[in-house]
Amino acid sequence: MALVRNCLLPSDLLYDVPTNIWVRELDDGMVEIGMTDIAQTLAGSIIHCRPKKVGKKVKKGKSVATVESGKWVGPVRSPFAGNITERNDAVVNDATILNRSPYGEGWIVRITPADMEGDRATLVGVEEASTLYEAYMQEKDLASCIHCEGFEE
Amino acid sequence: MFALYKDAGYQDVLVEEKQALFDQVTQDMRYPETLYGCYECGICVAACPSARFYDFSPRVFAQVMAREDVHTFYELLNDSVWDCSQCFSCTCCPRENNPGAIITIMREVAVNNGLASAKEALQAYSRIIFKIMSTGTQVSPDMLQPDFFPDWGQDVRDVAENLDVWRRAIPPETMHTVELAWDVSEKTRLELYMIWKLTGNLEMIENIDEGLFMILEEVMEELLEEHGYDIDDFDNILED
Repeated sequence: MALVRNCLLPSDLLYDVPTNIWVRELDDGMVEIGMTDIAQTLAGSIIHCRPKKVGKKVKKGKSVATVESGKWVGPVRSPFAGNITERNDAVVNDATILNRSPYGEGWIVRITPADMEGDRATLVGVEEASTLYEAYMQEKDLASCIHCEGFEE
Repeated sequence: MFALYKDAGYQDVLVEEKQALFDQVTQDMRYPETLYGCYECGICVAACPSARFYDFSPRVFAQVMAREDVHTFYELLNDSVWDCSQCFSCTCCPRENNPGAIITIMREVAVNNGLASAKEALQAYSRIIFKIMSTGTQVSPDMLQPDFFPDWGQDVRDVAENLDVWRRAIPPETMHTVELAWDVSEKTRLELYMIWKLTGNLEMIENIDEGLFMILEEVMEELLEEHGYDIDDFDNILED
């Protein structure tokens, strides 16, 4: 686990820093995606998460879910082109999971990538992500990550 | 070129760039009815609520535009233009100037040109824009969150925690929802969306917040699809 300005970045994940997304490669060829600790901090208390339906085709860089906090709304962008094979209904019922457990219970969708190798090449590992996030947070004037009560590391 | 404030910022920005934006404001069809000359009496400032709280003055806008001071104009466009509450109290002007309307036009120019100040100023309102353009209601009770209203102290915590209970305690016309202020029919929502689209408002959003534009387009075009409408067949949608 890497730590950048109190923001957690698990070592076993890949990251798309500009869109604030993490990716976990699963054994069955699928990838699981979610929001980083930095993303949940920037959003504030999240009140809605609406992933797209299972079976939907998604393009790289396009939205797989809509996330809403008090006054902010934004897309969760997919770093992979492919099909949505699973969505996490737990975050639909209780979006605060994204604040409490961004890397565990707070996964958003699972995708079967159309071009695993090609799209994976655009992602970075934890070491490079740490350096990039340091600069990213500097640019966004974000002093540190904020963890709510019950935050799971 | 004369600048009202000699220390006007953005000295590194080319004067041609500033002039082009200035021209976009003065060429707007509404502009001729906003400015008739300024006595510099300060009545607009006295009436302005924003002037009480910020380093902001509607009079400066009238003066800068009348003097064609593109340097200070550019500074205002990147800063003070977002401090106005658009209440139009400044229309009490004895010369019938309308500084608030100058600011309306300036804001549109800032948005249309994707200026960083516009992106920053509107970032905090993305959900409000999303709400009004996808549901037809501007605010929703669930916007009452402690991290957005820290100045409300414990009150906002109590309200946010039991929001659905509070909503049930008020008249049924509110539908008792926490996601909407009131219910807007799908027909109205679709009509509104077509108006945003045809009048170029969606393009404005795209210039400012591409992510917001993307989800808005997806949500609304899915709704159009559900109703069997073709997005390019405007006449049919509006007639139905």
